[in-house]
Amino acid sequence: MSTRDEVANATGEAKSWVLPVIAAALVVIVFASINARELDSIEARLLSGEEILARVGEHLRLVAISTVAVILLAVPLGVLLSRPGMRLLGAPVLAVANAGQAIPSIGILVLLAILFGVGIWMAVISLVLYALLPVLRNTMVGLKQVDRALIDAGRGMGMSARQVLVTIELPLAVPVMLAGIRVALILNVGVATLATYTNAGGLGSLIESGIVFNRMPVVLAGSILTVALALSVDWLAGVCERGLRPRGI
Amino acid sequence: MSDVMIRLDEVHKRYDGQAGDAVAPLSMEIREGEFVVFVGPSGCGKTTTLRMINRMVEPSGGRIWIDGRDVTDVDPDELRKHIGYVIQQVGLIPHLTVAANVGLVPKLLGWQRDRIEARTAELLDLVGLDPAAFGGRYPKQLSGGQQQRVGVARALAADPPVMLMDEPFGAIDPITRARLQEEFLALQRRIRKTIVFVTHDVDEALRLGDRVAVFGEGSRLVQFDTPLGILTNPADDYVRDFLGSGAAVRRLGLLNVGDLRKPEPADRLPLRVSSGDSVHSVLERMLRDGADRVIIEGESTEDDRELTLRELLMAGSAR
Ligand SMILES: Nc1ncnc2c1ncn2[C@@H]1O[C@H](COP(=O)(O)OP(=O)(O)O)[C@@H](O)[C@H]1O
Ligand SMILES: [Mg+2]
Repeated sequence: MSTRDEVANATGEAKSWVLPVIAAALVVIVFASINARELDSIEARLLSGEEILARVGEHLRLVAISTVAVILLAVPLGVLLSRPGMRLLGAPVLAVANAGQAIPSIGILVLLAILFGVGIWMAVISLVLYALLPVLRNTMVGLKQVDRALIDAGRGMGMSARQVLVTIELPLAVPVMLAGIRVALILNVGVATLATYTNAGGLGSLIESGIVFNRMPVVLAGSILTVALALSVDWLAGVCERGLRPRGI
Repeated sequence: MSDVMIRLDEVHKRYDGQAGDAVAPLSMEIREGEFVVFVGPSGCGKTTTLRMINRMVEPSGGRIWIDGRDVTDVDPDELRKHIGYVIQQVGLIPHLTVAANVGLVPKLLGWQRDRIEARTAELLDLVGLDPAAFGGRYPKQLSGGQQQRVGVARALAADPPVMLMDEPFGAIDPITRARLQEEFLALQRRIRKTIVFVTHDVDEALRLGDRVAVFGEGSRLVQFDTPLGILTNPADDYVRDFLGSGAAVRRLGLLNVGDLRKPEPADRLPLRVSSGDSVHSVLERMLRDGADRVIIEGESTEDDRELTLRELLMAGSAR
């Protein structure tokens, strides 16, 4: 093992406990200050345990559904676009996709809400559209960086193109793909706060209620919980990423 | 053992969008159990020719038979499972263990698990790697030489009659390379595969090949003969150039003293050399021309000195 590996491991481990500790600290601070204050009836209603749990649940559901949808769409699409016959199509798709990333997420949401109405599915669609790009791009990049000699060796020993994809290319692309999925996940946690504008609930609606009723503690609680959620999800994703990375590479 | 195993008939290749042939029409026969080495400068089409044999490259024309069967009649994936293929980059799959890498082709062929395990252990043994110590390792935990041994074991996995090897030892340090060549020759004496081996290194070609095919530009086959035949009678100046200096000394490496006959006595002209020539090059030229005396030229004719081969050897000996 080289020193560089050790350094990488050390920082990886450092991260792996720092994130959940910060997240837990944030949650503790939020609840401690809620408990320490006299809450008026609106605050009490919005910040009750069940209410918060319900918002967090909605939020997670949005993130989970849209991330799964992103993976199911972007990974096969990325694989398809990086097959030899499709290379010509791959580059422009990636360019268009990159340009799409620059459109503000709130813009997509509002646009879709105006066009198609509101609801959880509208929120899911916009989250998917938004988080598709990192996964698509990383799938294509991950496949492209696989050593040509390995593909050659695989074909040379009689593997079909499909067998090479499954046994050689995809496993070697997994680390890069996972990094893309992690980015998508974090994007989704953030962007899902905007889902309140399509009436899909989530922590965003806590924040929105706080703004509408002019209750700063509610706004703060909603925002801080979102941050804590993002940190926890990132940490979990990191743990999965390390666990799923193929050995030997 | 003189059955033809691989036959090329006017095989040629022109890559899309290129003006000239990467491989000009080429015909040759390779016998069963024969170790044939393709040698030639980089870019002369050796790899392309090799890859046409297992259809990694589709020929633009001509036909190829392996063991009497036209390869274009066989599904390429099926064909390749029965032809060993070793490349310079080795191409071990990094996320599979050494044992899994060696067992890849048997697995593709649908062998039972314990049969694969037994075969894998046998092959690792064959290439000099302890299966217990190495089977569970990942490729990056091996040295370059060990990786290439695994590459050879993997190519042998399904016991293919034909092995194609593209500069397999090219990326390995000279000492390890020499050892691998030695071991591989010993291995070949036991397994008697039909081998087509590509290299750009003349020494490697002459050391390994039963027969050596010397290619010129555009895969023009210039000479196809035994190493001794090539060193003794180079077909033309191109081959002579390609062999470089030292051919006469190298040729001695292929002869055993028992092979020699007493020569007819003959009058031999002395070789004229200048005082700056190295003893090595002078001996090389004496050997080539069969001279037994040299005249070392001085400033003027009076300063010329003469040395016999015997005196040269005594003066040059380390004692
Ligand atoms: N896939 C390819 N597409 C186009 N040209 C190629 C390809 N592979 C090889 N060539 C060309 O064909 C010629 C022969 O190449 P190659 O067979 O690799 O030679 P060698 O193995 O003797 O170095 C070279 O001029 C090379 O540039
Ligand atoms: Mg080559």
